[in-house]
Amino acid sequence: MTDSAKTGMTTESGTPKMTARNVDVFYGDKQAINNVSIDVNMDSVTAFIGPSGCGKSTFLRCMNRMNDTIPIARVTGEIKLEGEDIYSSKMDVVQLRARVGMVFQKPNPFPKSIYDNIAYGPRIHGLATGKEDLDEIVESSLQRAGLWGEVKDRLQDSGTALSGGQQQRLCIARAIAVDPEVILMDEPCSALDPIATAKIEELIHELRGKYAIVIVTHNMQQAARVSQKTAFFHLGTLVEYGETTDIFTNPREEKTRDYITGRYG
Amino acid sequence: MNSLTETKRRPTDWQGAEMQKRIAGRYAAERRFKAMGITAIVLSAGFLAFLLIVMVGNGFRGFTQTELPVEIDFPAVTSGASPSQFEGPNAEANLQVMGLREIVESSIEIQYGREGSDLFSPGAWTSVSAKILASPDIVRQKATVYLPVNSEIDVAYKDAGNPEAEQKVQALRDKFSTGFNWNFLSNSDATDPMQVGIWGAFKGSLITMIVTLLLAFPVGVLAALYLEEYAPKNRLTDLIEVSINNLAAVPSIIFGLLGLAVFLNFFGMPRSGALVGGLTLALMTMPVIVISGRNAVKSVPPSIREAALGIGASPLQVVFHHVLPLALPGILTGTIIGMARALGETAPLLMIGMRAFIATPPSGITDPATVLPVQIFLWSDEVDRGFVEKTSAAIIVLLLFLLIMNALAIYLRNRFETRW
Ligand SMILES: Nc1ncnc2c1ncn2[C@@H]1O[C@H](COP(=O)(O)OP(=O)(O)O)[C@@H](O)[C@H]1O
Ligand SMILES: [Mg+2]
Repeated sequence: MTDSAKTGMTTESGTPKMTARNVDVFYGDKQAINNVSIDVNMDSVTAFIGPSGCGKSTFLRCMNRMNDTIPIARVTGEIKLEGEDIYSSKMDVVQLRARVGMVFQKPNPFPKSIYDNIAYGPRIHGLATGKEDLDEIVESSLQRAGLWGEVKDRLQDSGTALSGGQQQRLCIARAIAVDPEVILMDEPCSALDPIATAKIEELIHELRGKYAIVIVTHNMQQAARVSQKTAFFHLGTLVEYGETTDIFTNPREEKTRDYITGRYG
Repeated sequence: MNSLTETKRRPTDWQGAEMQKRIAGRYAAERRFKAMGITAIVLSAGFLAFLLIVMVGNGFRGFTQTELPVEIDFPAVTSGASPSQFEGPNAEANLQVMGLREIVESSIEIQYGREGSDLFSPGAWTSVSAKILASPDIVRQKATVYLPVNSEIDVAYKDAGNPEAEQKVQALRDKFSTGFNWNFLSNSDATDPMQVGIWGAFKGSLITMIVTLLLAFPVGVLAALYLEEYAPKNRLTDLIEVSINNLAAVPSIIFGLLGLAVFLNFFGMPRSGALVGGLTLALMTMPVIVISGRNAVKSVPPSIREAALGIGASPLQVVFHHVLPLALPGILTGTIIGMARALGETAPLLMIGMRAFIATPPSGITDPATVLPVQIFLWSDEVDRGFVEKTSAAIIVLLLFLLIMNALAIYLRNRFETRW
């Protein structure tokens, strides 16, 4: 086992979008993440896999400082977005969360119209110059999320009236609307049926390259289908990080092999 | 090992007598519960119906007044006054100059004899004055006006009065008529039960409630939002939470003492005014709003907060764009419950002097005022039997006020409620 495989730093060319170095996370006295270092690239989808409770969500939530909302959570180490330390006092958390968008496990549209769901982010960040500009942002975001065709005639309907899969794509469109650089997805398909899941996976394919995407999943087939890079977490540590094809066909670590062959989990 | 445990256990006999008995017992328990539930509901509905029937039955008569016709030959008694005298700003002064009161009294004596005036309410002539002001043309003709009788006669006619009054009523039996007592809605407190009205107390209640709402609602909602969304969870906030819960349970008269000590004695605010009443009731209502507000805020799903934070909404935006609108129906319901309690409150207002005799409705927050429940309390204490039905009528007005407030609460809740 080489060191670079374990730490997950990129060796290939091209500066990574986000870098994490020696990150530890504690909930009170309990350590949930232990010394994780990882790079996230613009041109690939990164999947986080690992058994339940191994800290995938915890680590993901460090990347846009959503953990700040949990009083007992404490993060040490260094996470950078385009070279800027996101935990430094100069970083504005609110703007960070616009730049690093998040899609949650359970679809959580606002109980407002579809239009307002998308328009909310651009409005609070002042991204639109006028009504027409805002309409344009709403349309293009829904287009990108592959939802425009289904909802263009009912933009004033409540976002909560959509099906689960549509709601999740609405949430992705909502994240896209604020023009983020990175999109974090925490098990975005775990509450969806197979057809809706397939649609989201297709969408992730389309979004690849436009945004740096990190997806947490407990479904290994899904990781294999949508990602180019895979990180395997276990008990709060990053066991292995590499090309998805390598991880699934030729893992370097015993634990990884055991996990992907279903020997435990 | 498995077979061992199985052999030890007797197979369950689902059809056996013991099982049948269990089933029968379960059904019986369910029937008993249902019967008790129905009894409880019938009982409380019965009490409510009794209350309403008694109140409406008594109170209804408070809205009517017994009248006797009086014929007034205006052209003769006013020596040819012209209707134009009773229009415009000098109208009332001209009525006074003309001596309307004496005119009415002499007309009464002509028709009902020397003691005729004893039949009528001392303020009966004011009804004539109101009629002239409403339509001055009446002074050109000989007109019959219906004037309210005095309270003894009124009681004797509607119900059983004292023997003397009963005799008079007997004598005039078929002359009486009953009219709607508009004065009851437009007048304020008076010494003569035939002249009392609810308007002053109603207006006092309204102004007091507005003061209470303007103070208790924003402060209560902000406190609830701050405690739920911003305040760190520590010993201090725990203490604050316990204090607020205790405050909500403090007997209302103690808030009255507090209002007396703080607002009147310390700050020297005007006594008996709606301002002090409103402030005192706001102290009482605030904890209720804070508690219901916190519960409403707590019930907003955390996923909505995460969604907003996740696209870069600031904590303030999360609270005011998402949490507050979603919590508003619950907050409003709690607020109206608190306000309804404040509206029905008597004791604390007695402490700060809102029990004065208020014959002119308050026109501002510092004018001496009274409120509906205090007015009811004051009238119920009167000796004159004419006040009995007025008290019931005032209760009906108070209940209607409450009913409207509750209807408003339900309307607002449905209007703002978000369906998920
Ligand atoms: N809010 C929290 N408070 C305390 N402990 C937490 C909290 N969230 C997660 N944990 C703990 O941190 C560990 C990692 O959890 P999580 O990141 O949710 O795992 P995963 O997403 O991989 O299933 C678990 O042991 C979990 O119990
Ligand atoms: Mg998780």
